[in-house]
Amino acid sequence: MKNEKLLEVKDLKTSFFTHVGEVKAIRGVSFNLDKGEAIGIVGESGSGKSVTSLSVMRLLQFPGKIVGGEILFRGQDLAKKSEKEMQAIRGNEIAMIFQDPMTSLNPVYTIGNQIMEAIIRHQDLSKSQAKEKAIEMLRLVGIPSPEKRVDNYPHEFSGGMRQRAMIAMALSCEPSLLIADEPTTALDVTIQAQILELMKDLKEKINTSIILITHDLGVVADVCSRIIVMYGGLIMEEGATEDIFYNPKHPYTWGLLKSIPRLDLGGKKRLIPIEGTPPDLLKPPKGCPFAARCPYAMKVCMEHIPPYYSVDEKHRSMCWLLDERAPRVEVDTGVQRGRTE
Amino acid sequence: MSKKNNEILIEVKNLKKYFPIRKGFFGGHTQYVKAVDDVSFFIRKGETLGLVGESGCGKSTTGRTIIRLYKPTDGEVVFGNAEIGHMNEKELHPFRKRIQMIFQDPYASLNTRMTVGDIIGEALDIHGLASGKERLEIIHELLAKVGLNPDHAVRYPHEFSGGQRQRIGIARALAVRPEFIICDEPISALDVSIQAQVVNMLEDLQAELGLTYLFIAHDLSMVRHISDRVGVMYLGKLVEIADSEELYQHPAHPYTKALLSSIPIPDPDISKAKKRIILEGDVPSPLNPPSGCRFRTRCPYAMPKCAEVEPPMKDVGGGHMAACHLL
Repeated sequence: MKNEKLLEVKDLKTSFFTHVGEVKAIRGVSFNLDKGEAIGIVGESGSGKSVTSLSVMRLLQFPGKIVGGEILFRGQDLAKKSEKEMQAIRGNEIAMIFQDPMTSLNPVYTIGNQIMEAIIRHQDLSKSQAKEKAIEMLRLVGIPSPEKRVDNYPHEFSGGMRQRAMIAMALSCEPSLLIADEPTTALDVTIQAQILELMKDLKEKINTSIILITHDLGVVADVCSRIIVMYGGLIMEEGATEDIFYNPKHPYTWGLLKSIPRLDLGGKKRLIPIEGTPPDLLKPPKGCPFAARCPYAMKVCMEHIPPYYSVDEKHRSMCWLLDERAPRVEVDTGVQRGRTE
Repeated sequence: MSKKNNEILIEVKNLKKYFPIRKGFFGGHTQYVKAVDDVSFFIRKGETLGLVGESGCGKSTTGRTIIRLYKPTDGEVVFGNAEIGHMNEKELHPFRKRIQMIFQDPYASLNTRMTVGDIIGEALDIHGLASGKERLEIIHELLAKVGLNPDHAVRYPHEFSGGQRQRIGIARALAVRPEFIICDEPISALDVSIQAQVVNMLEDLQAELGLTYLFIAHDLSMVRHISDRVGVMYLGKLVEIADSEELYQHPAHPYTKALLSSIPIPDPDISKAKKRIILEGDVPSPLNPPSGCRFRTRCPYAMPKCAEVEPPMKDVGGGHMAACHLL
């Protein structure tokens, strides 16, 4: 893989200024994305995964605000761009697919019109050329008889087809970065399999970089080569997909892997849940955000946010257990390398 | 798990539920959505039957018809020895407390203007089970049972998180000491780290109180985990039903095979090695279902016969039933 950096997020902080106080949704997040790479951001609601993507797109709505850090896209800081400059980038160089295809399409315009809108805005094409392109895009994402379907309204499409149309729209200007925020959560499993297959296929064809945001570890295992695990507005662990599944170093990652039932393993082993509930980011805990739910929490965890410890070149974890003074903890998550069913 | 008992608690026979849709200017022309079309199965006492399928397959309608939130169009629901499918509300009253339901959305299924104590206590009031001090004691006991602080009985639902609300919903269902609980997607609105908490609690309660569950969900891995037997529905029909291990190890129906192979496995090596059956297209409209086998429009093995004759349920061994001409 070419190691050309496309996106570099440095110490990004985003807060929502609500009437009850500042909610620190992201509290210092840094990561890179290479050209043509697909990374997954995993976390539960309130972990900051969606706010990260909205910050990169500069789509935060009032009262949300980026309060610190840099978002370097091809070396340019998106956090400092004006709204007008962002409009030239959004949909053109960076595109986004949202969770709910039912609400993110405009019901009063045809599918074709909505795809053409982005094409006409960012490319020097006439209306009829744009329509040709829209039909071509619909064909690419596997919509049958696209010449006819291009004139349909969103309500004439099924859920899976709407998500395909969203993908067609997002890819119509051949963006170098595609952000997909829970793209399959609202879909049925057989349709989810179709859409994931399509995304993998398109990644090969167009060489787009992908940020896939999801709560489903199965989805990232399938699509992404690198995974970021978020919790309480911070990156808890980051590493190659194999490292996160086969050699996880953070208790939150262990907890996630142990709490999901495994279809491939069978048996009726009792699930091991993560006890407790996620922290309130209005008053984030002083120390590690996961400390209150962590079975291995030590005194230091409550007081100080741990630094990142490098496990190897691409694998880092924010946990005091990796400090040389901490006790050694070995955990069997039940996920093993080299199994093929 | 609880295989000691072979007594059948509930039996559904040829259950049908059609919803009328009026068309035309004066509503003269009526079409029917056949949400549940000729479904039969039974649940043994103390066991968990999982019901899976994609949205619109009729799994929730089946559950809601069994508990008589809907009146069946045709067919029988036999609970214990009584046929409850066609009883009127008055006859049904004593059965209402024996069957309870846990709903999907813990945000929508609790009355925001009632305290948690009253939400749970309402069921006790309706059935005249307890009052005064005893009522309060039962409420506190139930809250403790589902892992909540009994002092929270005076609080309102908005003060609780999603997982806690689902616990309140479970406490409410347990209040009348039911024998049978229908869990309609009880964990799909919850975060991954909270789902396991609720599932473990449901299992503990089943062991403690000898409950029977109908567990409706689209998450096949969770259904396999919690169920003794699993039924698969497609477009209003039950296409396969078997012991849970048997179904997952040896699926007989092409739809079950496709459904199982679609699930992303959280293990990169397995995920890469896995051969997926990707189904073409979408589920057809239940207003106008395909003739013969309803799955034939997406089935990779469809034959001419499939369009003409509807496949009957066949026993492929050991109570493993599937409806497919290939068998």
